[in-house]
Amino acid sequence: MKSKSRRLSAVDLLLIVLMILPFVAGIVLKVLTAPPSEGISITGARVYFTIPMPIQDLPITEAQVNSVLVLISIFALCLFMTRGLKVKAESKRQHAVEWIVEKVEGLVNENMGEMFAGFAPFIAAIIALSALSSLSTLMGLYPPTSDINIVAGWAILVFILITYYKLKGGLLYYLKGFTEPIFVMTPLNILGEIATPVSMAFRHYGNVLSGSVIAVLIAAALQGLSSLLLGWLPGALGEIPFLQIGLPAILSVYFDIFSGCMQAYIFAMLTMLNVSGGFPEDEYEKRKQKKLLKKQKKLQMNH
Amino acid sequence: MQSLDIISVNLWQILISLVNLLLLFLILKKFLFKPVKKVLEQRQAELDAQYASADRAEALADEHRKEWEEKLSTANAQADAILQSATENAKYRGDKLIAEAQDRADGIIRAAETEAQLERKKATDGIKREIVEVSGALTEKMLEREINTEDHRALIDSFIEEIGDGNE
Repeated sequence: MKSKSRRLSAVDLLLIVLMILPFVAGIVLKVLTAPPSEGISITGARVYFTIPMPIQDLPITEAQVNSVLVLISIFALCLFMTRGLKVKAESKRQHAVEWIVEKVEGLVNENMGEMFAGFAPFIAAIIALSALSSLSTLMGLYPPTSDINIVAGWAILVFILITYYKLKGGLLYYLKGFTEPIFVMTPLNILGEIATPVSMAFRHYGNVLSGSVIAVLIAAALQGLSSLLLGWLPGALGEIPFLQIGLPAILSVYFDIFSGCMQAYIFAMLTMLNVSGGFPEDEYEKRKQKKLLKKQKKLQMNH
Repeated sequence: MQSLDIISVNLWQILISLVNLLLLFLILKKFLFKPVKKVLEQRQAELDAQYASADRAEALADEHRKEWEEKLSTANAQADAILQSATENAKYRGDKLIAEAQDRADGIIRAAETEAQLERKKATDGIKREIVEVSGALTEKMLEREINTEDHRALIDSFIEEIGDGNE
């Protein structure tokens, strides 16, 4: 019984392969389409092909593809983790997945309150997508989070959620909120409202992109320094950038791993705080009670 | 193969990304949170059931304990009562036995006494008769004539009476 549960079944293996395959595919795709290197260049995502669309053509870029690959990988991970769940937890897998779910729910409950308990999967989605996207750079992929369009999409979704929950206090109450504390502040308030998603998007995108840019700059600088200091070495030895060994890896720990996870956490945190912070709880309760009263009155009238 | 500029905003890309996040949200909700929460709820339910059954068992045990304690205390009282009644009974019967024995002893003594008296009387009677006969014979010898015992019975008796009284 125990050896059976410990051994991976064919489906488990398939799911693990499905988890890893997207990244492998991404790397292969990148290697196949990579142009010959011409020194250092800092550009946006590579465009694979462009689909003509109304308003604006849609270029299918590396960032887009990688984003979808990460999505598929997370999906496979989900299926893998939730396989063979039992009421009496036996496997480490189940302990891990329960720990994750409880942690996320605890985080959401702590920051948003009981009313927003349904947000837990959404927050988990943000953290997972953002962190894994940023971490995909470790495998040499173009991190989707360093494309403004990707992060902007998330930020706009968050903005929609913020506005949706603000409107729960009533449209009038929502509009009145812009004129506070004094009427003159209205333009600033509107600006502030729009600034939230913009700042969220740019913060995330900028952090990840700047990490990549700094990594490229430092690598290039080290290459230059290496050829300057060690160029006298005979033959091919002189062309090997020895100084590039070590330092970029250490910087990668900060820029790719730490910063990537940090930005994911910050984005999730800001989402939680902005959505629950903008929600007018008192007004919502008042409206709820008013509606209830109206309903009761209607019922009485009908009787 | 060209690349995008480092900042290039594209409406469709933004939309696709937005939809991607929504999609992942739905995926996580359906395939991660739902099954895990279901299992957690089931476990909670099982735990609650077990707690409830444990509580029930405890209550039952408490009840039993109380019952037994009550029984024990009544049993103690009962035992006390039984012991008391037994001792009383025994005492009563012992007293009765002793009294009976006393009675019987008294009876025996009395009977013995009467028997002894009777015996003595018999003996005295015998002696008297002997004396009478002896005295009769003696007087007969002395008087050389036959005394009619029957005739002198009363005389002799009174005489013996006197002797007996003197002896006593």
